[in-house]
This record gives sequence, C-alpha cells and structure tokens, in this order.
Amino acid sequence: MYAWIWRHLPGSVPVKVVQAVVLVAVVVAVLLFVVFPWVEPVLPFTDPTLE
Amino acid sequence: MTTTRIPAQSPPPERPSRLRPVLRGLGEVCITLGLIVLLFVFYELRVTSWFSAREQARATEQLRQRWQREPVDTEEPVDPVAGEGFARLHVPALGPDFPFTVLEGTDQSTLSAGPGHYAESALPGQRGNFAVAGHRAGRMAPFAELDELESCDALVVETDSQWYVYRVLPLRGEVDGWDPEQRGRRCSGVAPIGGPYRGVVGRTVVEPARREVINPVPGQPPGTVPRQWRSRLITLTTCHPRYSAEKRMIVHGVLTKRYPKVADRPELKPPELGR
Repeated sequence: MYAWIWRHLPGSVPVKVVQAVVLVAVVVAVLLFVVFPWVEPVLPFTDPTLE
Repeated sequence: MTTTRIPAQSPPPERPSRLRPVLRGLGEVCITLGLIVLLFVFYELRVTSWFSAREQARATEQLRQRWQREPVDTEEPVDPVAGEGFARLHVPALGPDFPFTVLEGTDQSTLSAGPGHYAESALPGQRGNFAVAGHRAGRMAPFAELDELESCDALVVETDSQWYVYRVLPLRGEVDGWDPEQRGRRCSGVAPIGGPYRGVVGRTVVEPARREVINPVPGQPPGTVPRQWRSRLITLTTCHPRYSAEKRMIVHGVLTKRYPKVADRPELKPPELGR
C-alpha cells in the first residue's frame, strides 16, 4: 500500500518526501478534527454522569 | 576419465507469489490501525482538552460579563440557563487548574466546556444537594484528582452574590470515632450527619446506575425528607477508574460557611481560598 503510493507520487525523491509529509498531515487532521469527534460519543470511555 | 560437468544453473525463476502482496498489504493495514488507535488516545487525552479550554474560557468570560452587568442585590439564586455558566468552583486542594466555571446541564456538549450541574438538583447554598459532574480524563479533566480529596478539604462555590464554602464529609474509615475537637478549625462544621444521612460519606465508588446519590438526601428517594430538615450538600461525580467509565466516583461535601460578596470590593475572597 505505502510502496504503491510512493511509486505513484510524481517528481524527484525530495519532492516525494514533501508530498508524503503533506499527505500524512492531511490524514491526521481529518482523523483529529472530523472522524474522532464523530465516533467518540458512541464509545463508552468518557461519560462522568450518572444514568 | 571423464568428468561430467554439470553446468552452473541459475536458481529457478521466482514464481511471482500472489500471496506476498496480500500479506504485505495486511501487515500495513494492521500497523496503520495501530497508529490510528494511538492517535485516538492522544486525541482523547490532549486534543479534547485544547477544545475544552477554549469553551471554558468563553463560558468564564460570559459569566464575568453577566456578573458585571447585573449588580449584586439579591441573595436569591439566579436560575441558570442551560448550557451557560452560572457559578465558579474553587477547590484549593486540587491545585492551580481550578477554579472552573460550572455550566448548567450534564449533556456531552455542556460537559466538554467544564463541570456541569445536574439540572434537577439544588442550586448552590440551597437545602438539598448541589450536584455537579465533571470529566476525569480528557476535556481538561476538571475532576481528574477527585480521589485525592481528603475529609474537610474546601469546595468553594462562587455565585453572582455569594461564596459558599462546602467541605468534604468524613471518609468511610473516619466516620466511627470522628472527633471534631481533635480535627481542628479546618473541620469546623464537618461531622457525620446521621439520621437519613447515615451512610453518606466523603467519597464512594458506585455503579453508574446509582443515580440516588444525587437525590436531595443521597440514597433516599426524593420527598422522603421534608425540605426544612435537609442539609445543604454538594456532590461531585466523575468516572472511575480513570480512563474508564465502568463506575462513578462520588464526593459529598456539606456547607459550612457562607460569605456575601461585596459589590464594590470584588477582589475580596474567602480565607479558605488561601493567600
């Protein structure tokens, strides 16, 4: 998967590195700000109230 | 003599295995999922606190402005608005993270901004039970160290017009043989209450379904004790153990003192807050 992505990034190695870093940052941001806030209420970790 | 010379053979051509890319892909997916779980832990414990700090600061600012607009002229508690701050909770024993602005309501979005008041419970200073929920991990974790509170530790609630000083009730092991004289001035006004309050101690761990701990008299059905016989309690609830929501930790305190705020001396603070 990662090798496939690496092969398909265009440009020289330094350019590829920059693109890879940007891709990782985008994925992390989407997880932190969209996916996790969305799934979190379903998970039973943090409710401090009484039922 | 003849020697048969076996010509050097090249290794048999590697047959392209179909399995290998599949296995590699599977391994990469597993590693990726592991990283995502780690990132989720970081999110729960840190990132949520960043969001919460912003919301808490906004609630505090709104509350401050409201208190400035509406001068202190009444002892009657002002009815809180759902989702908005209405009081400040100071707990000197829990260090510099306090005070927190307490908001009205215990839904998830309210609790992400700070400790939340169970809407049906009493207001600060009233007879009955002023009950507040707060997170133990993540979202600034206002009640992270609730397990470190000891009997007689001050829980000071600041409203628009009053300072209410509650103190943690005697812990389970201290109820028998509680001697107010020995405990000193810090504990004045703190003692096992008795009567319908028998069994109400400073700190307990209960199942999440035990909602009766926030009843006007903890553990008793509402309405069994007439209002004028009720003590003025505070109850804090949070998750237990930390990082889990399997049980709830409950801290009960009793009102020991009240100081009216002085309108033109807003910097005056109760001595219980220290310094």
